Amino acid sequence: MNILIERFHQFLKVVLTVLMGLMIVPVTLQIVSRHTGIIPRYIWTEEVARFCFIWIIMIGSMIAVRDGTHFDVNLLRPPASPRRKGIRDLIVHLAMALLALFFLRYGVVFAKTGFIQTSEMSGINMLWIYISFPLAGLTWVIFLAEKIMQDWELICGASRPEGPETSP
Amino acid sequence: MSPGEVSAIMVGAFVVLVVLRVPVSFALGLACLPILLIEERLTPVVLVNEMWKSYNAFILLAVPFFLLAANLMNAAGITQRLVDLARAAVGHLPGGLGHVNVTVSMLFAGISGSSTADAAGIGSLLIPAMKKEGYDSSFTVAITACSSVMGVIIPPSIIMIVWGGLMSVSIGGLFLAGIVPGVLITFTLMGATLIFAKVRKYPVGKRSSFREFCRAFGHAALALVTPAIIVGGIVFGFFTATEASVIAVLYSLVLGGLIYRSIGLRELPKVLYESARFAGISLFCIGTASAFGWLLAYFRVPHALADLLAGLHAGPVATGILIALAFLAIGMFIDAIPAIIVLGTILLPLAEGVGMHPLHFAMIGVVSLAFGLVTPPYGLCLLIAASLGQVKMVDALKDIGLILLPMLAILVLVILFPELILFLPRLVAPQFL
Repeated sequence: MNILIERFHQFLKVVLTVLMGLMIVPVTLQIVSRHTGIIPRYIWTEEVARFCFIWIIMIGSMIAVRDGTHFDVNLLRPPASPRRKGIRDLIVHLAMALLALFFLRYGVVFAKTGFIQTSEMSGINMLWIYISFPLAGLTWVIFLAEKIMQDWELICGASRPEGPETSP
Repeated sequence: MSPGEVSAIMVGAFVVLVVLRVPVSFALGLACLPILLIEERLTPVVLVNEMWKSYNAFILLAVPFFLLAANLMNAAGITQRLVDLARAAVGHLPGGLGHVNVTVSMLFAGISGSSTADAAGIGSLLIPAMKKEGYDSSFTVAITACSSVMGVIIPPSIIMIVWGGLMSVSIGGLFLAGIVPGVLITFTLMGATLIFAKVRKYPVGKRSSFREFCRAFGHAALALVTPAIIVGGIVFGFFTATEASVIAVLYSLVLGGLIYRSIGLRELPKVLYESARFAGISLFCIGTASAFGWLLAYFRVPHALADLLAGLHAGPVATGILIALAFLAIGMFIDAIPAIIVLGTILLPLAEGVGMHPLHFAMIGVVSLAFGLVTPPYGLCLLIAASLGQVKMVDALKDIGLILLPMLAILVLVILFPELILFLPRLVAPQFL
């Protein structure tokens, strides 16, 4: 199971890298067409860039859940024992899982509204973009389930298995 | 529900979750849930829908692109060329490398719009060099972190782009308004470095010959053209802020890949990934912060707060100070971008009420939030510099405080004399006012 999750995590990293590279293309086309006229003025460039951008945000948020790199604020003293750390992390991960489940549930409702819409410029079915929201919810649920299991093992006294570190 | 009840539930839940160390972006989203589930007039899909609306803005695309441009500059060794130039120009002053650190931050800020990229790029080059020459670790970390805040004050600036996009203020105008405070902060930091160098007897570098300076300038010249292309392009209407950010990316690629040949196809995926990852995290926070802000606005919380503050009958200066304090306080705990969304929209009616110019209001906010990048507990630039300098954040706090004091004086100047920031936009592009 861990291997599958790790592979999925790596896959998301590759997709994120490719999307970032791809996003440069439409905006460049837009500038070149306006200032040189060597290519026609496509009307879909801005929209495609925006859609890549939304996927980048959602995939970035998925990766950061597993890496433990979402911004947090360190106000309390560090936990004195591994068990206490396990309890603290468990509370955090359960809270995050609550939003993840909410996102999954209502993201599906949101995505369904996308199914009956097409974008104004490029004619893309909006489901392709809206679906990033419930997918983010689902991916968080998977990554958080893995983390919650690790927290539980820590609380029960087992050594923490190899895996991405939570943020310092 | 009354504005008071809504804000008590939402802000209360947010604070508790953040203290428990739930990530800020998730805490903002979670804080919306009780209201969305209780209030009959609202559907829970609002959360997702408001996030989608905030992301579906072309202007925000500039954020990942400016981050990418800055990371490309670091990967391509352009930062090193800027360091060499700064060393030739100011390395001979007492506390030479401290001045180099400040000067290079100013130059880098003109190219990149990100303070964190500034702290990471310059810090990785100069922190080891400064420690080797005998500078205290705390001063080294403090000056690197404090000078990196110029990244978002001197144009281009990611924070200004977000501000402009959210509050419908001209980004060209904001960019021009940032130049004077940025330069003033440079001088302030150099003054502080000079005092530190005298008191702590920091080393003095060797003076470069005119020829060496010219050579260093020649090596960095192509990189130094970037601010003119980006800021000039936006101010004179050749391209939008988002397009300018892509031009910055393409220019860094051409410089690093074709001219300097310092960045190859192998390094590119790593730079793309790191930029996208960081942008993703920051912007995800914008999404949940937007939903949070929207919900507060739906229950007219900003208006209630503005009415409350208007009851104080504060003049423009007192209001300016109040705004600065609010941004400084929130900047200690959360990232600048969600802070703009949460607080900026709330304070806007207050600023308008006393007739404050939108650019003036924006600059008070931007400078205050920039300081938040080096204040604990959540000062991203301080965290980056401290980890590069391998010192605990708390050990650098005293020097941070000493350097921040004169910088706060610049903030007070910005509050007291709006003309200080308004004269440049008025001179160059009056249409922005």
